[in-house]
This record gives sequence, structure tokens and C-alpha cells, in this order.
Amino acid sequence: MPSDPHITAHTIPGERQAVDRRAFITNKLLNALPRNNYRRMLTGLEPVNLAFGEVLYEPGDQISHVYFPGIALVSLMTLVDDRLTLEVGMVGCEGMVGLPVALGIGVSPFRALVQGAGTAMRMKSNWFVKELRRSTALQRALQRYTHTLMAQFAQTAACNRFHVVEERLARWLLMTRDRVQSTDFRLTQEFLSHMLGVRRVGVTKAAGHLQQRRLIEYSRGNIRIVDQPGLEAASCSCYRANRNSHIDPV
Amino acid sequence: MVTPDPPGQNHLLAALAADDFSRLLPHLEGIELTTGQTVAEFGFRQDYVFFPTSSLIALLWRMEDGTHFQTGLVGNEGLAGIGLCLGEFGIPGRAVVQSAGYGYRLASTVLKTELDRRGQLQRLLLRFTQTLLMQMAQSAICREHHSTEQQLCRWLLLCLDGLPSHQLSLRQDSIADMPAWRRAGMTDAANQLQASQALQYRGGKITLDRPKLELRVCDCYQTGKGEFDGLLPRKQMTAPQTA
Repeated sequence: MPSDPHITAHTIPGERQAVDRRAFITNKLLNALPRNNYRRMLTGLEPVNLAFGEVLYEPGDQISHVYFPGIALVSLMTLVDDRLTLEVGMVGCEGMVGLPVALGIGVSPFRALVQGAGTAMRMKSNWFVKELRRSTALQRALQRYTHTLMAQFAQTAACNRFHVVEERLARWLLMTRDRVQSTDFRLTQEFLSHMLGVRRVGVTKAAGHLQQRRLIEYSRGNIRIVDQPGLEAASCSCYRANRNSHIDPV
Repeated sequence: MVTPDPPGQNHLLAALAADDFSRLLPHLEGIELTTGQTVAEFGFRQDYVFFPTSSLIALLWRMEDGTHFQTGLVGNEGLAGIGLCLGEFGIPGRAVVQSAGYGYRLASTVLKTELDRRGQLQRLLLRFTQTLLMQMAQSAICREHHSTEQQLCRWLLLCLDGLPSHQLSLRQDSIADMPAWRRAGMTDAANQLQASQALQYRGGKITLDRPKLELRVCDCYQTGKGEFDGLLPRKQMTAPQTA
């Protein structure tokens, strides 16, 4: 794993860097496939670097590729009135971006936004559909993943309704940590306010308070989790519930 | 049991090709669903899935503290018990009848066999799964940004879309008890709608005025409806002819 893979906020969105074709990208969903299925899929998989802030799809866009994140982290965001956003799900190395394709739909209902820069494998949607038809193991893995994502959506919806911003911020930071497997990331307050669907001042207050409690360090958009058990205690019960319901495709 | 509704009143069943439909038909069992009845519960064996024809089923998510929170609503456009289609795992929560009426149930074993054929039913159910995901996402953002009255209007319109009539069989207090909402705010909003005759209580039933509700609802409703209509069969149909 490269050092601090998520602190790469300055890559220009859309500018794709070449990735070594042999780069080893760990996506749990792909890794859980039987070896022969995986090998066959590899021919259609292309390693890519996803840049922070890059939009993979906007709502209504045709899904040209599905993505299997390795280190990258992608937020699924829903929009209202063309400006207000809310993150409803998060996809990291446990999942796939572009799930509608597996459900027989070619258009994305969400904005898929790269929230943690890093590597991913991608595959053309039509190729993926063919693979899906051939592989029962892939179908099963995606059914389970659909289920996981549904649980995550439900949990997020409940959490946003019932829990205060500080608990939600703590949950969000922990979910990010779990997916990028690092305690340091770079995030602006504006970005967090879009994710949590709250005003910036609310994020400032919540982050300030978590910092006062010495759970995180926050300066100029750099966040470091300094007390992991403390942050877990400060997050709402949704974080643990979601982690428990998360099914590893092993 | 014989129900007054034909199976084709459920849009998923109606969208099946004649041979698929006639294969399922002997296994479809008409049932009456009463308000408050639990049709699926996490942790229990799920013997049936339910296709509403004139009832509404609320999907409730179980929170850590044991309380429930509504994440979705299934009417005659869908089915309750989709967790079964996604493998052996249930979703923590339950499915409860929100508005009494009729529907059909299908044994889980029959459904599984049918899904293994990878035919039209599987395709329809996967699409339906996608609409549930979208419904959840949209409820979350609507709740965050729109007024209680707008949210209530959206929810009532979703109910209307899932029913063949303009009437809901709900107890008068059940709106305020909706698990997702603050009781006081919802009672106020319901009173407002009643004052403007968008909603009327009569003998244990709620009658809704669609144009009045549409005037008051936020954009989420039309946006969502446009998206769903592209994904799901929603034609007003009669049952396909059996072979």
C-alpha cells in the first residue's frame, strides 16, 4: 500500500494516471470469486487511479463502467433541487460501484463521487453483464452485496433522522477509516457538509467538539483519528450496527 | 381464499409473460391482509413473499435500541420479502401491513425455484430492488431538507400510487404514529392537510385528493416517480391470459 494514499486532494479530477497493469488491487468482492472466474474476469478488468473529487457518474448518466475499488473510496450521493446533497452509501474495497448494472439497469440514480483517492479496477458495463450471466459465484456475491448496501442505506436514513451531527460525523469518519484502512484523511468542511447533508457551521461545530474531546485532530482539511475507541464511543449505535450487518464475501 | 382482486392487479405479476404467469398461478394464494399484521420478520423463517393488490406494506428497519423506522413502502407495484431474493440473509427489520386490503402470497421455495430459472421474474425483482434502494435514498434526503408537510404529502402520494383506489384504510392516529416521524409535527401537518381538504377522515378511512397533495409536495415525489416509472411496469392492466 502506498503511504498516505488518501491525501491526494490536488489531483485534477478527470485526469487519469496510468496504473501498472500488474498492480495488485485488493477488492474483497473480486477476491472472493473462484480462481477460474477471477482469471476470466481479469481480461476485462482495467486498473485505474481514481482522483479525489472525481465524479464517476451523475444521476441519470449511463453507467459505462463498473468499478471495484481497491484503496479508493466512493460515495453514493443523492441530490435534491440540483444542489442539496446527502451521502446515502459508501463503497470501498468490500464492494462495487455501478450496482444498478447488476440489477439490470444501465443508468445511475446517484452521483458516485470519489471521496478517497486510490486504485480501483474497472470493467465495461456490457462486458460485466456478460460475466455476470456466466458466473453464478459473481451473481451470489452481488446479491449479498446488494443486501449489504440496502442495509447501509436503511441505516444511514435512520441515523440521519435520529442522531445529532456530532454522532453522525463520528460514524462517518469511522466508516471512512474502515474502508480506506487508514486513520488519516483529507477532507474539507464543505465536503463533509455535503456528505452529512447539514450546513457547514454544523460540521465546524461538531468537528470542533470532537477535537476538544481529543478524539480527532483537525486542521486545514486534514483529519486524523487519534483515539479510535473514543471515537467509536462518541459515534451513534448505527456505526456498530452497520459493521455487524456488513457481510464479508468470504 | 378467494380475493376480490385478480393477481394481475399487482404490476409485477401483470408484467410476466403468459407462460411465466401460468406457471406461478397455481402457487399464488389470495389472502386478506389486516392493518398491523407482520408478514416478514428478521430472524424468523420466511415461508412466503407477498404481492399486494389492494394493501400497503411498510418496510421497517430495526434500530439498535429495538425501535423501528420506516424505510420503504410496498404497494401493488412490488412485493414484500425481497430479502429472500438476495440470498439467505434477511434485512434486520420487519414488514408490516400499513393499509388493509388484499394480496397474494407465494411460497419462498417456489420463488427460489423461479429465480433460479433466471427469467423474467428475476429481472423484474432485481429492478424492483433498485427502486427500493432509490426510495430509501430519496426518503433520507427528503427528510433532511423538506418540511414535515411536504414529507407527509410525498408519503401519502406514494401510498396512492401503490393502491388501486383513493382510499387508505388507516386508523386516524396511525399517521402520527408513523415510526419515522416526530409525532407532534406530523399531527400538525395532517391537520393542515385536512383543513385544506387534501385529506379527509371518514369512518376509519382516509380519502386523499391527489391534485391537492401534488400542489403541496416537494420535487422529490415527481423526481422519484419519473425514475420508478422508467424501471417498473406500472400500466393499468388486467391479468394476463392464462394459456
